[in-house]
Amino acid sequence: MRLNRKKRVGMIISVTPLVDVMMILLVFFMVTSTYLDLDMLPLVGGDRPAGEAPAPVPVDRVQQGSSLLVRLAADGRVYVSGEQVSLAGLSSLVQIRITTRPSTPVLVLPSGAASTQALVSLMDAIALAGASNVRVVRLSPQ
Amino acid sequence: MISVRRRPDRPQHETIVTLIDIVFFLLVFFMLIGRMDASSPFELSPPISAGGDTLPQGGMTVSLSQDGRLALDGVERPRAEIVTVLRNAIATSREPLFVRINAHADTPVRHLLPLVTALEALPEGDVVLVVTPRRR
Repeated sequence: MRLNRKKRVGMIISVTPLVDVMMILLVFFMVTSTYLDLDMLPLVGGDRPAGEAPAPVPVDRVQQGSSLLVRLAADGRVYVSGEQVSLAGLSSLVQIRITTRPSTPVLVLPSGAASTQALVSLMDAIALAGASNVRVVRLSPQ
Repeated sequence: MISVRRRPDRPQHETIVTLIDIVFFLLVFFMLIGRMDASSPFELSPPISAGGDTLPQGGMTVSLSQDGRLALDGVERPRAEIVTVLRNAIATSREPLFVRINAHADTPVRHLLPLVTALEALPEGDVVLVVTPRRR
């Protein structure tokens, strides 16, 4: 007796659903991801005492001490001791001060209307001069 | 008479294995390079800085719009509520909290500083300002 058996065909797995799923994942990651190259400036460190906010600095006193008070006006202009200085001039000034007294605190008093960009540029100029003790102060609301 | 030999026709069924390879490669590329982030409910353009450090991933993001509106991880909330949420996060989390302030470059400082002061009063955690690195 002769049996006609069908020739075995290798099992074929369709990969089309796999491609579909991968395409969906690809589109998802392309849409939801951000590709901005961002940096950070530390504002509050983790080494401060627990639950303790820094004490406010009386602005009328800091001018008389050894610290350097830098004022940032609403239009972005920078003033030191009442005189307007450029950012490059500020860097030089801070550099001279910290050369003679390395621990000189630099206090920045920005106007409330000054932009964040102006404040960051000012902080950059001070950091460029090598100052390590920099604080931003603000007038407490009465 | 010149006999022209034609190449045999390509098979009708094109293989999609190459397509899978390319798609898989792109998928891995976007998974590694991209960074999923909580989108802000308002338009933000961080300030440009030449002295920033590399921004680590993770943590919570406080967005600050040009007109002083605040959002925490993409959801607009008042400042007091944000501080409460962060305080609860610190209480429940085992790791120190990392807070990113994503402020618009033109945001007046009078909106930024009270926020920083409020975050300074939290029991612990690092607070950083997100900046765009200046291209040299």
